[in-house]
Amino acid sequence: MREANYYSRDPVPETPEPKQKQDPWAETKVVGQPLPRVDAYQRLSGAAVYPSDVHLPEMLYGAILRCPHAHARIKSLETTAAEQIPGVRAVLTNSSPGTDIPWQPESDGPASVLFDPVCRFEGEAVAAVAATTPYQAQDALRAMQVDYEVLPAVSTPQDALEPGAPKVHPDGNSVGEPSTYERGDVSAGFEAADVVVEETFQVPFLLHTPMEPHGCVARWEGDKLTLWESTQGVYNVQRQVAAALDLPLSHVRVIGHYVGGGFGSKLAIGKYSLIAALLAKKTARPVKVFLSREETFLCVGNRPGGTMRLKAGAKRDGTLTALDFEALGSGGAYSPYGTGLFDWQIRDLYHCRNVRTKGRSAYINAGEERPMRAPGHPQGSWALEQVLDALAAKLEMDPLKLRLENLTAVSQARGDIPYTSTGFKECLEEGAKAFGWAAARARPAADGPVVRGVGVGGCTWVAGAGGPPSTAIVKYFADGSVNLNMGASDIGTGTKTVMAMVVAEELGVPVERIQIEHADTGTTEFATASGGSKTVPTESPAVRAAALDCREQLLAMAAQDLNISAAELELEAGEVFSTRDPAKRLAVGEISQFRQRRTVVGVGYRGPNPEDKAVCPFAAQFCEVEVNKRTGEVRVLRFLGAHDSGRVMSRLTYDNQVYGGIVMGIGFGLTERRVLDEKQTGKMVNRNWHDYKIPTALDVPADMESLPIEIQDLECNTTGAKGLGEPVTIPTAAAIANAVYDATGVRVTEAPINPTRLLDLLAAHDQRRA
Amino acid sequence: MLPNFAYIRARSKQEALDNLRSEGAHVHAGGTDLLGCARDGVFKVEKLVSISRLEELEGITGTGDGGLRIGALTTISEIAESPLVQESYPGLAQAAGDVASPQLRNQGTLGGNLCQRPRCWYFRGDFHCAKKGGDLCYAVEGENRYHAIFGGDPCYIVHPSDTAPMLVALGAEVRISGAAGDRTMPLQDFFVLPDQDLSRETVLQPGEIVTEVLLPKAAGIRSSYRKIRERGAWDFALVSVALAVRMNGSAVADARIVLGGVAPVPWRSEAGEKALNGNEPSASVAADVAAATVAGARPLEQNAYKVHLAKGALVESLLAL
Repeated sequence: MREANYYSRDPVPETPEPKQKQDPWAETKVVGQPLPRVDAYQRLSGAAVYPSDVHLPEMLYGAILRCPHAHARIKSLETTAAEQIPGVRAVLTNSSPGTDIPWQPESDGPASVLFDPVCRFEGEAVAAVAATTPYQAQDALRAMQVDYEVLPAVSTPQDALEPGAPKVHPDGNSVGEPSTYERGDVSAGFEAADVVVEETFQVPFLLHTPMEPHGCVARWEGDKLTLWESTQGVYNVQRQVAAALDLPLSHVRVIGHYVGGGFGSKLAIGKYSLIAALLAKKTARPVKVFLSREETFLCVGNRPGGTMRLKAGAKRDGTLTALDFEALGSGGAYSPYGTGLFDWQIRDLYHCRNVRTKGRSAYINAGEERPMRAPGHPQGSWALEQVLDALAAKLEMDPLKLRLENLTAVSQARGDIPYTSTGFKECLEEGAKAFGWAAARARPAADGPVVRGVGVGGCTWVAGAGGPPSTAIVKYFADGSVNLNMGASDIGTGTKTVMAMVVAEELGVPVERIQIEHADTGTTEFATASGGSKTVPTESPAVRAAALDCREQLLAMAAQDLNISAAELELEAGEVFSTRDPAKRLAVGEISQFRQRRTVVGVGYRGPNPEDKAVCPFAAQFCEVEVNKRTGEVRVLRFLGAHDSGRVMSRLTYDNQVYGGIVMGIGFGLTERRVLDEKQTGKMVNRNWHDYKIPTALDVPADMESLPIEIQDLECNTTGAKGLGEPVTIPTAAAIANAVYDATGVRVTEAPINPTRLLDLLAAHDQRRA
Repeated sequence: MLPNFAYIRARSKQEALDNLRSEGAHVHAGGTDLLGCARDGVFKVEKLVSISRLEELEGITGTGDGGLRIGALTTISEIAESPLVQESYPGLAQAAGDVASPQLRNQGTLGGNLCQRPRCWYFRGDFHCAKKGGDLCYAVEGENRYHAIFGGDPCYIVHPSDTAPMLVALGAEVRISGAAGDRTMPLQDFFVLPDQDLSRETVLQPGEIVTEVLLPKAAGIRSSYRKIRERGAWDFALVSVALAVRMNGSAVADARIVLGGVAPVPWRSEAGEKALNGNEPSASVAADVAAATVAGARPLEQNAYKVHLAKGALVESLLAL
């Protein structure tokens, strides 16, 4: 199955060899501490300027007319009335000069253009306006007269592949040959099995719904464009906008200091990015285009849903003998990656020599997928972790033990290369111990309508190694304060805080004296987008190298003044001193060369990843639920996430990732689903935060525990950190489903689990037993 | 985005009523739902008449006959937190506490909670459905997991209020003011089914407003409200059960059973009440009552679970009496 583009391994030019020896830290003073966020005050007080807060003099407001049908052809579009509305400065349609821009960028999907006369999903862009006020812009949209020929629509991948289904594209709905993977001999594996389990699973399409909507502010100065965009990667935006508008990279400056959440939906540009730029060009004014909440439900990405079938065989002792997996999904109207990475857990997590997977995707008349927090993984985990539980039940074995029977030290999906480190066993064992798994399992079943159960789920994450390229610059000022320059975005995960701690670790400077410049293509160095759980493992080694470079220069200068070898010098709290004779010391400000130069600049690059080894995080999550069998209500009582992500760089941001991932996973497990009016209009019926139900504080347990499994990884990179942001939400929903099974004996194969589904299953279960 | 509209903050009830006579005029109390409807264009809003200054419509006071008067402008939070309500009508305090979220309870009023428009996603969304003058109730063939299992035809909305089923169970009356004067009626008769009038959910005529709710004496009445929803806050009932029961020793003398979330109006089950009256609420009686209560249900394709759910919640409530 194809891997989504944001963590693919593009070949990276050789980065300069570090001048310093960068052994992993034996012990740390700052890194790993629970320090508050460096920008906590700004974020909490409202002082932080998010892109949606940007307000420029003379700025106009852009708005986008969107197709209200799931599938339609535009027969005519009349904009005269709209243009006459007071305050309207520009109207863009597909006949406006400069709008003939291919869409979408860097995609393997079918070709389209910025304003495609055939709208293949509800919410597709039809035209745009810029006006003095947002209200005038909306009035102008309402004044546009569009004559649509409404076409039949198809809303599910199953329907899309039926003969005679409405065609999303002229060539039909199939994205091409199914993607397949096979190792070993699956038939022989099943023949060798003592028990076999086969289940079919269904997962809904989910939405990112970050708090800050998608959008940007565009301003031209001559032929130079500046964009303030809510994005996870300013350099992605720069590259894609420059390509679309045929501009030199140097003429596109993208700034994204803050971003109010992305979860993968802001890794690439949207049509809004280009529309804002075109409107700003046409009006010679800055233009702000930020989407409404409803728009963000329709056209800026989703996590593909679909159907999965998984068959698993095992020996009496629990040894897995075969896994056979098949998935059908959809990446929406344009993306071929409907089932991308659905199968990764099945291929790589548990030891099994005979594995076969197959993924089919179909185009449907719905918004396109975008990577969403661990693309494909939570879906596959929903199937795999439940099937393992079903196997355990059939074997009358503790589900934890079954998992422990099938561990592997090598990445089977990558040709059996070893992991640099795997703490999966420890995640399972230590997590179970801290959770009280054995005692909870041994508890006698409750008698009555309200029952409890516990569940476990494990995971790995395909990316999470990070890797080159990344360049960071550390500037040490005369007063011992420091400026860190890096291109990476902090998408709310604490990147800035972690990097400041790395600088503080190496230069002995308090975090408060470190100023960070970041996420601005005009002033900071290249970084890949913040996604794939790779920001810390990518950026922290580069930042460390830059700090070490800076440190080495300072020590070399001090060595001249002190007339001793730099090798015996140490830098701490603004002083250089000899480790042999601590009496020999010098305040940094007194180093003569430094006094003349006033700053020292260190440059650091991210070195390559280890060859022929896989760098992967692992996790096990445990939960306890309470099910009311009369009402089908499921309450999550407690959760524990035991995560091996290498070194804990910052305990507070680490724990926040774990809690946040569990909350998001509870949404998948219990409450969230995109609902299309499948049998009639194909339109989305729950495109708001009331009807699309993300969990509230009352839906998540107060008792959540983050248990870092801090395995020292000496090989992954020079800080020892592996990715964390995605594994935290991979096994969550499956662990809940397993706990519901433990409580009720009912296996819920279709997510989410709530009374609308569980009651029917409970009733059927009771009937079977009676 | 909100449309343009006129805004009047009335200084007297009469001024409010005078201003509400024109087409497109809407009474504005807490505004929690009205502004959303205006923004989404669910119905035409040309004038908002705020009654927030009318203090005589606020507050909870005892009545001469031992009952309670709750002004239409009383916030949902005030009802949930009122010692008078908590002591005598615990089911109502529970129902009010289950509404929406703390912010919405602080802003939303009782009058608004009774008069709120249905949450059907076709009605609220970009669909020209029968209720909005179109030809079709999209819920019949469409995504109908949250829709009615009773009284739906020809429009399968469910009444979204938490306080309404409980107040109907408690035998509350509602007082209405309009140009023609005041009238008072049982709250049960306040709501209308779609086969009576597709365009509205209550008997309110244009220009009329709810001014207060009157509760009869609570002595000897046990009440409870049980709401089942998909998430813990800011969610309407999949099904709710409002019970108000007068006991005679250990047996039920007189019961009111009203379901929320199952019908276009708060759905009173006289069949369920009949099965309960005169009996001790044992497990077998509860099962019989539950079966009688849902006997006439006609679920759509996706909402048969509501039948199980209504039964389950009712059994739970009865056994907790």
